[in-house]
Amino acid sequence: MTNLNAVDPAAVAQDAHLEGADVVIGKNTIIFRRFMRNKTAVAGLAIFLALTVFSFVGGYFTQWDKQTIDPFNIGMPPSAEHYLGTSQAGIDLYAMTVEGTRISILIGLIVGLVSVLVAAVYGCTMAYFGGKVDKVMLFILEALIMMPALLVVAVATSGGGEGLRRDLPSWLLLIIVLLVFSWMGTARLIRSLSMSLMQRDFVKAAQYMGVPARRIVWRHLVPNIGSLLVLDITRGVTGAILAEVAFSFIGIGIKVPDVSLGVLIGGATSQVQTFPWMFWVPLTVMFLLTGSLAMMNDGLRDAFDPSSSSSGSAKKRTALKARVKGNAS
Amino acid sequence: MSSEIAAGPVDQPQSAVERLHIAGLHAPADAILSVRDMNVRFNTENGVVHAVRGVDFDLMPGKTLGIVGESGSGKSVTSLAIMGLLPSTAEVTGSVRLKGKELLGLSDKAMCEYRGNELAMVFQDPLSSLTPVYTVGNQIIEALTIHNPTMSKQAKEARAVELLAMVGIPSPKERLRAFPHEFSGGMRQRVMIAIAIANNPRVLIADEPTTALDVTIQAQVLEVLHTAQEETGAAVVMITHDLGVVAGMADDIMVMYAGRPVETGAVDDIYYNPRMPYTMGLLGAVPRVDVAEKSSLVPIEGMPPNLIHTPTGCSFAPRCPLAADACLEGEPALAPVPGPAAHRAACIKSGSLGGDVDVHDVFAAPPVPVSRFDAIPREERSTVLQLKDVRKHFPLTKGALLKRRIGTVKAVDGLSFDIREGECFSIVGESGSGKTTTLLEIMEFHKDQDGEVVIGGISNKQAADGKTRSAMRRELQMVFQDPTGALDPRFTVYEVLAEPLQNAGMNKVDTKKRIMELMKLVGLQPDHVNRFPNQFSGGQRQRIGIARALAVNPKLVVLDEPVSALDVSVQAGVINLLDKLRAELGLSYLLVAHDLSVVRHISNRVAVMYLGKIVEIGEVDRVFDNPRHPYTRALLSAIPVPDPQLERTRERIILRGDLPSPLGTPKGCNFATRCPVFAALPAAKQEKCLTLEPPLEQVAPSPAARTLAADPLPALDQRFACFFPDGELDEDMLVVHESADHHAP
Repeated sequence: MTNLNAVDPAAVAQDAHLEGADVVIGKNTIIFRRFMRNKTAVAGLAIFLALTVFSFVGGYFTQWDKQTIDPFNIGMPPSAEHYLGTSQAGIDLYAMTVEGTRISILIGLIVGLVSVLVAAVYGCTMAYFGGKVDKVMLFILEALIMMPALLVVAVATSGGGEGLRRDLPSWLLLIIVLLVFSWMGTARLIRSLSMSLMQRDFVKAAQYMGVPARRIVWRHLVPNIGSLLVLDITRGVTGAILAEVAFSFIGIGIKVPDVSLGVLIGGATSQVQTFPWMFWVPLTVMFLLTGSLAMMNDGLRDAFDPSSSSSGSAKKRTALKARVKGNAS
Repeated sequence: MSSEIAAGPVDQPQSAVERLHIAGLHAPADAILSVRDMNVRFNTENGVVHAVRGVDFDLMPGKTLGIVGESGSGKSVTSLAIMGLLPSTAEVTGSVRLKGKELLGLSDKAMCEYRGNELAMVFQDPLSSLTPVYTVGNQIIEALTIHNPTMSKQAKEARAVELLAMVGIPSPKERLRAFPHEFSGGMRQRVMIAIAIANNPRVLIADEPTTALDVTIQAQVLEVLHTAQEETGAAVVMITHDLGVVAGMADDIMVMYAGRPVETGAVDDIYYNPRMPYTMGLLGAVPRVDVAEKSSLVPIEGMPPNLIHTPTGCSFAPRCPLAADACLEGEPALAPVPGPAAHRAACIKSGSLGGDVDVHDVFAAPPVPVSRFDAIPREERSTVLQLKDVRKHFPLTKGALLKRRIGTVKAVDGLSFDIREGECFSIVGESGSGKTTTLLEIMEFHKDQDGEVVIGGISNKQAADGKTRSAMRRELQMVFQDPTGALDPRFTVYEVLAEPLQNAGMNKVDTKKRIMELMKLVGLQPDHVNRFPNQFSGGQRQRIGIARALAVNPKLVVLDEPVSALDVSVQAGVINLLDKLRAELGLSYLLVAHDLSVVRHISNRVAVMYLGKIVEIGEVDRVFDNPRHPYTRALLSAIPVPDPQLERTRERIILRGDLPSPLGTPKGCNFATRCPVFAALPAAKQEKCLTLEPPLEQVAPSPAARTLAADPLPALDQRFACFFPDGELDEDMLVVHESADHHAP
């Protein structure tokens, strides 16, 4: 039997000092506070922000850019002139890393955010309307899942799609292709989650209040799968970065003259022994990037989830007590 | 002795063993189960939760002990500790003696000797306590095999059939091969009882055995428990939150609060002469189905204490209206009170309390609110909701590929009623009678519905555009059964309440003002608007739900079992609030509830539904005091009343079986299959019931009708659908427990 009468004493205590103060604390503030309590997550966020800033301003600290060849330093290890050494073509590795990081972050963020957003709206819409709408949308989704993504990427970026490649930079093309193929799994998961949410009384309550459908989807369904969405955004960003690296590595992703971490890593694999800096530097940056995202992941989920057990001391006690009560009754 | 117990072994670890020894000596020799100073602690990272703190009782053979209390008071933990079913993290101290043998401290394997043999248990949820993959026969035989390895297969089967017959399952031999999903909830609970009594246990522990069941089924199951006790002579420990359920069954009562027994005694002493404010509050919080008098219920404010901290004073003091400074100095021990010997209460003021003290004075129950509509005759008030011949039929199909229609489920079948301003109209009936579907039909408000729904003058037939619909939505709001599920866990209270207002197009400043107003209206602190719903207790959550429904100033509020998920003490507060709001704001309610006592307390008019049809409708006091339809009579008779005398002597109608399957509904009267009148009718009259559908007819003010009012009013507000309302009841369906002075009418 669920214990409806259990009240969190910590919350009451927390409330005591709010008493009298007639302030309405925004939910965003609450979420922000909870996130800031998680030290690992904050560290992850700091690393990620540092990398992002680095990718934009890092270029001003060197006179070299990603195209200029230094004929006097070809394949040289790090030195005062070239902070991270040069490639075999004599291009400054530091400049290339900055550029590559920017492209990778850009691809990751855009693909991660947009694909999850598409998945959320698509999945929730399917669940909300159900019936025929659900059937048709599910068919489109299944059809996309069955499409061989790798081949389409290969065709779009190298063989076919000449026109596209002429008009768009290769990173934008890759973003579009990754976007098309990255949202389906999440959408299906969200559909099933939302379907169970649809049975909950608060959705019915909103319907009976006459709240329009799109508002119910946006205000009730999407936030309630929020922790999953946040997890999926960070995972999606990581996934997109890795996909970019992988595609670029096998040569069907980003094309020279555009640089990305994947291009750098891919180009250097054959000479790890002879030119180790060319391999390790972009790899480290990639690890930092994906690692910081993973660190943030946890903190974000806890911050968004009201029933989460690890977001701050107040919340922690509720969960424990609930568990004890659960055992007790 | 009890003063030592109250101190607890934490403070006096040395004396505990000694004390137990003395306690053991003091236990009556003939007690079948003796519990002494039982303490249960759960170690959590937060500290030690002291869930049960010093429980003692003796259970005599063949007697029944009722343990009552709110959720979280340690009732279930006590029973699980006796059974040795608590997780190993729980620390249990004290002594549990079954026939003089100590049970605490036995290994799990040693306990298995007793469990299911001498000690048996019936659990709350019958839907999950049977294994779905084995037949019920298998499961009964399993219980027999474990404790009687030498029993032959035939003997075991014969015993299983005998057991099923004993718990009242028709054609037990065939049903032995049936799987749990082929049984209804009530039937499964009967099977659970059969398994529990399989080995003639000496002690049967029933943990809320009927909470999950309908009232008519509850009456059946309680009857079965009674029979089982008579057959086996077992002592029964009955754990429940419903004071009505134990009133008729128990010999002794133990009231628990915050893990401690706060009052123990014989059932009559507890009910008629409570000496502890908590017991008084519990009794005053329950509405009575048999009393027409309108008085507010007694709410017990606040909530049970957190058991992580050892209470320094009386644990009930923070909620007690009588609390004085002396109450905060040490926890009062369970001490004998003046009067019968066995009656003990843990209250320093128990001497001044008793049967002659009115609980309404003690707990300061609010005055009965008077609505401005009360003075206006019903006919002159305007109609807020009208249903005309509303139907909802679901096709029943079979086959995966080619769906063929094999029948129709008539969830709602030709429903007509109206609700006037300032009135509370209730719909009652068993689950499956179409109450909820009726609500959904009203909330749906769509042009294509079968039948007409008129809300505040707007008919569903004209509601084509969104504008009319949203106008209708402002007239009608809903409060849900489960207060937890009805509030978006991600919304703060502010957002929950702001949603309907924003939807109505209110600006931000007004919204904030209105929300503060609403919070005060439903008795919540306005500065709690920043909290999330999980930071509130159940009663408070339901108040938020009510506040949300009232946000747009509706005329009619639809209440779907608004208090069934709440504890009695909290329930009383919510009912009082609903009463107050109806009077102050001139609201009308459409209430759906299975608890007829709540219905009687709050409603003005009531409709009894059976299989999608109204079988009786009318003014609540008229219908409840003078029910005409046999189904209404059966429903009312199934409600246990928190009055031991009445409960022991009154005669009750125990309906046979469950609601019939929608396919098996008779052509004539729906109720014929279970009707106690029908069963007693001669064949010629039975024919009429089976072929003709009884229309809903006005109660004629004839001498036969036992109306209380002597003057023959032209039209009584009571209609019913039965051909033979005055027919004799079938003797088999009537049960009287003890030899009563009055007999069948």
